[in-house]
Amino acid sequence: MKTKPLKKREKEPFFERHLGPILITPSTLVIFGILFIPIFYALYMSLNRISFRGADTIYKFAGLQNFINLFTTDPWFKSSFLVTLLFVMLTVATEIVIGVAASLVLNKKFHGRGFVRGLMILPWAMPTVVNAVMWKWIFNAEYGAANGLLLKLGLIKTSIAWLGTPRMAFFCVFLANVWKETPYVILLAIAALSTIPEDLYEAASIDGAGGWKAFWRITLPMIKPVLLILLITKTIWAFQTFDLVAIMTSGGPQNATNLLSYYIHFVAFKQTDFGSAAAMSYVLSMICFALSFVYIKVFMNKDENDEKKIKKHLKKKLAGAHEG
Amino acid sequence: MASIQLKHITKRYPGTTVPAVEDLNLSIEDKEFIILVGPSGCGKSTVLRMIAGLEEITDGEIFIGDRLINEVAPKDRDIAMVFQNYALYPHMTVYKNMAFSLKLRKTPKKEIDEKVRAAAKILDIESLLDRKPRALSGGQRQRVALGRAMVRNPSVFLLDEPLSNLDAKLRTSMRAEITRLHERLGTTFVYVTHDQTEAMTMGDRIAVIKDGVIQQIDTPQNLYDHPQNLFVGGFIGSPQMNLIDATVEKAADGYCAAFGETKIGIPEQVMSAAVCADYEGKPVVLGIRPEFISETGSHSEEHNLMTGDVDLAESMGAEKFVYFACEGCPCIAKVPGSSPIQSGESVSFAVDCTMIHAFDKETGLTISK
Repeated sequence: MKTKPLKKREKEPFFERHLGPILITPSTLVIFGILFIPIFYALYMSLNRISFRGADTIYKFAGLQNFINLFTTDPWFKSSFLVTLLFVMLTVATEIVIGVAASLVLNKKFHGRGFVRGLMILPWAMPTVVNAVMWKWIFNAEYGAANGLLLKLGLIKTSIAWLGTPRMAFFCVFLANVWKETPYVILLAIAALSTIPEDLYEAASIDGAGGWKAFWRITLPMIKPVLLILLITKTIWAFQTFDLVAIMTSGGPQNATNLLSYYIHFVAFKQTDFGSAAAMSYVLSMICFALSFVYIKVFMNKDENDEKKIKKHLKKKLAGAHEG
Repeated sequence: MASIQLKHITKRYPGTTVPAVEDLNLSIEDKEFIILVGPSGCGKSTVLRMIAGLEEITDGEIFIGDRLINEVAPKDRDIAMVFQNYALYPHMTVYKNMAFSLKLRKTPKKEIDEKVRAAAKILDIESLLDRKPRALSGGQRQRVALGRAMVRNPSVFLLDEPLSNLDAKLRTSMRAEITRLHERLGTTFVYVTHDQTEAMTMGDRIAVIKDGVIQQIDTPQNLYDHPQNLFVGGFIGSPQMNLIDATVEKAADGYCAAFGETKIGIPEQVMSAAVCADYEGKPVVLGIRPEFISETGSHSEEHNLMTGDVDLAESMGAEKFVYFACEGCPCIAKVPGSSPIQSGESVSFAVDCTMIHAFDKETGLTISK
C-alpha cells in the first residue's frame, strides 16, 4: 500500500518531478558566476605573485607570502587597517546612537511627521557619489560652503583647509558617512518602534518605569533584533566604504583617510600588485565575517539560553508526567 | 486598602466637541468589586484609565482613599492594572514580568522572590515562571497579567476588559476565578467590560454607562429588577428585554398597555392607578423580559396574550429562544427547551404582567415601580 504513491510519482513527467531544481538553476548559476568564481579566483590570486609582461599575466605560486607581507613589509597596510577600524567603530556607533534617538523623536506624533520622515530618507536615497561630491564642495578650502558659512557667522577668521589636515579630513569623511548612512538606521528603527504596543508603556508607567527606565527596559530590548541587524550590516558596509574617500580625499592627507577598501583598490590598480590586493580582500572579508559571527553570538545567546531552559524544563515535566 | 471617589469628572479629547465622559460622579467603596459596563465607546475605559493615571482629567477630581490623585503619577497611585491585551513584556520571562515593578522599587531580591512565588502559587502558574509570554496560551497570559498586578499588593485593582480575548469556555472559568481572587485579596476591584453577563455575575455593584454618562449604579439584581431607564432595561439581561411602543388605556379592571389588538394588563404593583391615569392615552414603551413570556397555559388570562408568527426558534438545550413578530414588533420569548414550538408557526404567548416594565416614551425614564 505504501509504495503506491511513489509509483504514481515516478509516472509524473520529468519536468514536474524536477520542477524545484529546474527553477533555481538559472539563479544559482548567476550567483555562482558573479560570487563564487570571483571568490575562488581571488583566493587563487592571493596565493600567487602576479606580474605582467606585455599582454601576458604571469602567476607565480607564493603560498601565504602575500598575507605575510601585509603584516611585515607592507608600509601602509597597518595604518590603513587602524584607520579603517577607527572609522568603522566611530561611524557605526554614531549612526546607531543618532539614528535611534532621531527615530524616537520621529515615532512621536506631531504635525508634519510624515513630511519630516520623508525628508530624513533623502540623504540615504542619494547616490554615494553625489553625496561625496557634495561634501567635497562643502569642505572646499577656497569656495566651500562650510568656510563660507562660518566666515559669515564670524566663527572663524580665516578659511580652514578642511580636507588638508589629517584629523580634519578624517572627521569630514566621517561626517559625510554619518550624514548619508544614519537615515537607514532611522528607517529601520522607526519600523521596529512602531511594532511596540502602546499598552506596554502604559503597563510600565504603572509598574514604575517612565522615561529613561522605559527606554532601557522596554524600548531597547524590544528593538534589539533590529539593532543587531543594523550593527552587522552597518559594520560590513562601513568596512567597505570606498567612494567617499576616493572622491573626497583619495586616501590622504598622510593616509589619514586611507580606508582598506580604497587601499586595496590602490594596490591593485595603481601598483598593479593583484596578489597583495587579493590577500587584503581576504583579510577584510574574514574580519567582516568574524564580526557578524560575534555579534550574532553575543546578541542571540541570551534568548537561546532562555529557550534551552524552557525546553529542559518541559522535558523534565514530561518525564515527571510519564513517571507519575 | 482604599475607596475611590470620582467627583464631577469630565474628559474631553482635543479636537472633539462631545466629551468622552461628562460630569461623572462615582463613589466606590473600599474592597468593593464594581463593574463599569456599557457599549463600546461609552467612555468606561476612559474612566478606568483616568483612575490609573494614563489619561489626563479635563475637569473634576479623583480621590483614592483621602488622597487627591489628579496630579499623582500612575506608579505612585498604589494601583495595578490588567490590560485587555495583557501587555506582558515579551522580552521578559513570566518571573521577570511579575518581578518588574518590585525590582524598579528596589525591593530586596529575597522579598521579590517570595512575593512572585506566592502570587504564582495562588494563580497556579508556578511551572510557567521561566517561560516567555509568547510560549503561553491566552488563559495563562491572563493569569500572568493578574499575577503581575498582585505582587505589588495594590490597594486598587483596575481591570480593562481582561477576558475579552479568551474563548467562551475559558472566559466562564476565569470569571469565577477573578471573583474568587477578589474575595481572597480583599482589595477594591474596578472592572470594565462591555459584556453584561460578566457584569451581572461578577460585580457587587454595576455602573451602567452610556455616552460618558452613568445611567444607573446598583446591585446586579436591582439593575435587572428595576432598570431606571430604557437603556439600562435593554442593556442588562440576555436575551434583551422586549421593548414595545404602546399606549396606556383604561380597561375594565384597571389599566392596560395596548398596541394594535394586543392588550397587556398593568397591575397595581407595576404602576399605581394615579400614574396610569396620568399616562392614559399617552405613548409609553413597554418592557417585557423574554423570560416572562411563556407558552399559553401557565398564564391563561386572555388579555395578557401576545400572538405572532414564529420567525426562528433557537434551541439552547435547556431552553429555547423564540423570535416572533407581534403586531409588527419583533419580540423574543424564552421557553423551556422541551417546547414543541417551531419556526413558521403562529403561536400565542402569555405575558406575566406582574413583571413588566414601562418607560416614558419621551424621556426614556421608568414609570413603573
